[in-house]
Amino acid sequence: MTVHAFHIFDRKGKTLFTKRYSSIVKNQPVQDAELLSEQRKLIFGMLFSLRELVGSLTPEGESPALHSVRTGAGTLHCYETISGLRMALYTNNNPNMGSNARNLDTSKTSFQNALKHIYSELWVDCVVRSPLYRPGDIQVDGNGNDVGRFDIRSTNFEKKLDAYLASMPWFR
Amino acid sequence: MSSKSQAAQAGQALWAKMPKANAELFALTYGSLVTELVRDYEDPIEVNAQLDRIGYSIGVRCVDEFLSKADVAGMGLTTQCQNLRDTAEVVAKMGFKMFLGIQAEVGAFSQDQRCFSIYLQDNPLSTFVELPEDDPSGGEDLRRLKYSNLYCGVIRGALEQVNLKVDCNIVRDTLKGDELNEIRVELKEVLADGAGDDYKEE
Repeated sequence: MTVHAFHIFDRKGKTLFTKRYSSIVKNQPVQDAELLSEQRKLIFGMLFSLRELVGSLTPEGESPALHSVRTGAGTLHCYETISGLRMALYTNNNPNMGSNARNLDTSKTSFQNALKHIYSELWVDCVVRSPLYRPGDIQVDGNGNDVGRFDIRSTNFEKKLDAYLASMPWFR
Repeated sequence: MSSKSQAAQAGQALWAKMPKANAELFALTYGSLVTELVRDYEDPIEVNAQLDRIGYSIGVRCVDEFLSKADVAGMGLTTQCQNLRDTAEVVAKMGFKMFLGIQAEVGAFSQDQRCFSIYLQDNPLSTFVELPEDDPSGGEDLRRLKYSNLYCGVIRGALEQVNLKVDCNIVRDTLKGDELNEIRVELKEVLADGAGDDYKEE
């Protein structure tokens, strides 16, 4: 069970944070930044369209929320806040909870809980509260140094995120 | 999130969990901020606009904190407010309670349900504050200063993050002699979720 990647998008689709964990990437050190950015756009587009779809399919009074998208290769777990922040965690398909496969349902909810935790404890605490935070002006790739843009590496969001994900039983 | 008491209780619970700051320090810091602004800009209307901008930045950040805390505490905020009335209750009972610890009431819903008022009995920002009397020699008329205009900006910023574009105004102010503070909130439009510039079709 591995986590391949983690993305955070804002309401407009701009990537606020992205990180690849997969060991496959290490064999291709020069991944085209253009290509990655295209991929992220595709992910956002899919989440956006699916949300519209889910919204129209959901019966009245229930809360419409996309939890995950499962393909043959992996699963994309999503969590979206009312303020438009979308988090996407891409993992492979076999959550090894340490015990048997009957835990499949709880594993789904634990992803939601994990994403919720990342939002409330890590994102809000480290990023939103940072005095340097500028919503709408976040620099992701770290290439080029625009003064005045908020660089997420100035907070310890990434370290805390890594520590948190590593502590999850399904991480690796 | 439909009943008032639910929102009030939730607000109480959230307030209990928040780290607290000294109220006097808060009021005095705000007071010195406003004094500096008045000194810099001199025109009270301009100062009101600046306070609104400051409030807007605060609101944009507060909303994430509010949503995350309220969600985690199981307050059921994952189901969205069904209408503006619910939103008003949440803002007043939970939002104001959580961040400022004060009880705020809502009322005066307009006919078309697009406007409402928030009433604050006591305003923590205006402790120790007195606005000067009209200066007959023609100095800046500080009676036009909306001292608590920060609240308007905060509400505007926070609601914009959840796709509601609103206009807020302070209509009654205890500093000017009224018996309570009233903030009038008008819904201008409900913004649609759109993808940003990157996604414009060629």
